[in-house]
Amino acid sequence: MSVFTLPQAAKEEALLKELSALVEHHREHCEPYDRILAASGYEPATSVAGLPWLPVRLFKNLELKSIPDDEVFKVLTSSGTTGEVSKIYLDKAAAATQTKQLGATVQSVLGPKRLPMLLVDTKAMLKDRRSFSARGAGVLGMATFGRDHVWALDGEGHVDVDAIREFLAKHGGEPFLIFGFTYMVWLHLYEVALAQGLDLSNGILIHSGGWKKLIDQAVSPDEFRTRLAGVGLTRTHNFYGMVEQIGTIFLEGPSGGSLYCPDFADVVIRDPETWEELPPGKPGLIEVVSTLPTSYPGHVLLTEDLGVVHGIDDGDWPGKRFSVLGRLPRAEARGCSDTYKEAA
Amino acid sequence: MIRYRFGVEGDLTAPSDDRLAVGDPRVVDFLTKLARKLLAPAVARRHPELGSLGFFLRPAELHRAIARMQHPDALVFPRGNVFHVPPANVDTIFVYSWALSALAGNHNVVRISERSAVAADTILEALNEVLADADPVIARTQRMITYGRDDAVTAALSQWCDLRVIWGGDNAINSIRKQPLRPSARDMTFADRTSWAAISADGWRAASPKARRDAVVGFSNDSYWFDQAACSSPRTVFLVGSETGDVREQFVELLLDVVDQRGWAVDASMAVEKRVNAYELAATGAVSAIDFPANTVTSLSLTAVPQAPRYWIGAGAFPFAEVGSLLDLVPAMNRQDQTFAHFGFQPDELREFALALGGRGVDRIVPLGSALTFGAIWDGYDLPREFTRLTTLAA
Repeated sequence: MSVFTLPQAAKEEALLKELSALVEHHREHCEPYDRILAASGYEPATSVAGLPWLPVRLFKNLELKSIPDDEVFKVLTSSGTTGEVSKIYLDKAAAATQTKQLGATVQSVLGPKRLPMLLVDTKAMLKDRRSFSARGAGVLGMATFGRDHVWALDGEGHVDVDAIREFLAKHGGEPFLIFGFTYMVWLHLYEVALAQGLDLSNGILIHSGGWKKLIDQAVSPDEFRTRLAGVGLTRTHNFYGMVEQIGTIFLEGPSGGSLYCPDFADVVIRDPETWEELPPGKPGLIEVVSTLPTSYPGHVLLTEDLGVVHGIDDGDWPGKRFSVLGRLPRAEARGCSDTYKEAA
Repeated sequence: MIRYRFGVEGDLTAPSDDRLAVGDPRVVDFLTKLARKLLAPAVARRHPELGSLGFFLRPAELHRAIARMQHPDALVFPRGNVFHVPPANVDTIFVYSWALSALAGNHNVVRISERSAVAADTILEALNEVLADADPVIARTQRMITYGRDDAVTAALSQWCDLRVIWGGDNAINSIRKQPLRPSARDMTFADRTSWAAISADGWRAASPKARRDAVVGFSNDSYWFDQAACSSPRTVFLVGSETGDVREQFVELLLDVVDQRGWAVDASMAVEKRVNAYELAATGAVSAIDFPANTVTSLSLTAVPQAPRYWIGAGAFPFAEVGSLLDLVPAMNRQDQTFAHFGFQPDELREFALALGGRGVDRIVPLGSALTFGAIWDGYDLPREFTRLTTLAA
């Protein structure tokens, strides 16, 4: 079973219909969204790239939801770099759909059965419920797709080699799932596996969380893959996703180097000067579209990440394949605004 | 850690035997040479805002400022020690406030932000070049420094000074004010401000194409030099008259053309920033239409005058609102409002507007293109007066 099945033309046809219907749905149920579209002179789109997008940061500043207060089942938050928080409102149906589709996406590479799971993180970071982080949510969300979970780090955040050894002794002979944030995997799992000669050859790694910390250490995505293969971990899948489009992840294909879009989602790379869609090979801002956001108008979002489409219908799976290149720096004004907080 | 950027290094608060007079020739000489450096074509081309600064420091301007310091009923002397805390990012402000204070004969310490931009470095270079053949008293009495989060330095300088000059934002002012001054000293603060532009529809329609273009060139300088974030940069443009759609259309079209010709660009992150703010204003109902004809120019239609945002919404973002007359704007103006840049009005209309405001808002009413032109009267203060003290003498 896979959710990476539709060639681009068929996908766009289906998406355009569903997303156009979502535009109407959200206009009807979310007044601020309707005002934005009215103010920008919205006309029905004839292509996915023509659909009206919202800057993702809008969810940090505004309360945008298309469900009445008494149907709010879950509010997801993500902390931004400047302390602002996105608020994403889910009703029961949206919460169920996002879990189901996230499951279907990871099962495309894991198979239908739950696998024993090694979490490259520490249980301690789940403890404080009030400061429950995006990292915690990510780990917990993914944990449901595994069984017999073992944490690779102890309560102090140090590698628990004994725990890993014990896990491998018990499950290392069959396929198992490894999940963690990219830099945690690199810092804590890769180096220990190398030093201790751990056998990870039956592992399937799913990882995410941005490359900045690794690029700072001069570790490219390619290098990451090659070096992990060097310790036997040949099946690795990076993914790209955000809380503002919860349930939708763009997953790296088996041969690496590209992220793929599930059937219910897509990316559009936009030229930040003309705002038109860019052809493969040209880097620009990443817009993510998904049919999952039904309880809030997050179905077409312009991120502040830069990316590039490498090809269409020419990779491991059908559709667009792309890479994330990094983050757009936040705009800073000159001027006599409050630029002086450090003064005192 | 204190980094000395200008003047003699060492104890900043030590007593000094040096005495400068109001309008001291050694200071005038120094500032004149500085002006010449800043007005050099190579500098002015790279940093047009330094050209304006150079203009402000020409001998004729300096002597005008000195004349303003005189008082018919008193002897005029320097205020004493002045501690300046200019804003981080408007690179030229620190020179204006320091130069006037130096001209008044004060001993000055200027704290230059660690985050100051390129133009500030160019100015400091020029200052140090001029210092080489200036009277040594300048280096001993005029110091510019950079230091990080160090309350101890701020506290010591606050105890040393007779006048502390703090430029906003409001948070910076509040945080610096936690350091007490000596009982006899006081603060001069420049808080967060908002500025506006207004165009008379009748005046616009009657103006020649050249006059219109000149006005838009001036407006674009006012807006784009400091990413529309200087206190004096206009934000909302009020269209005064009726059926002003044609005026707005022509204005925006000219603006696009001028900005394009000047080569002013807006990078991707600024473009996104403007979208975020524009969408937010639309979502809350503050604006009814948003238009992005180019990344450099964002045009918004306010639903009502009081909706005009007083916060920064990006470089080249212009809300528009129509009002029947200038007097209709009076209730919407408040103490936060600083500069009101205008085009196409009769002097009588402007005077009537100023009188109706009655000092409750708006400190400067200037033509488009002069919004950033620093003056000796600023934010309601007569700076030459503030930098001096008066002695009365009855024989």
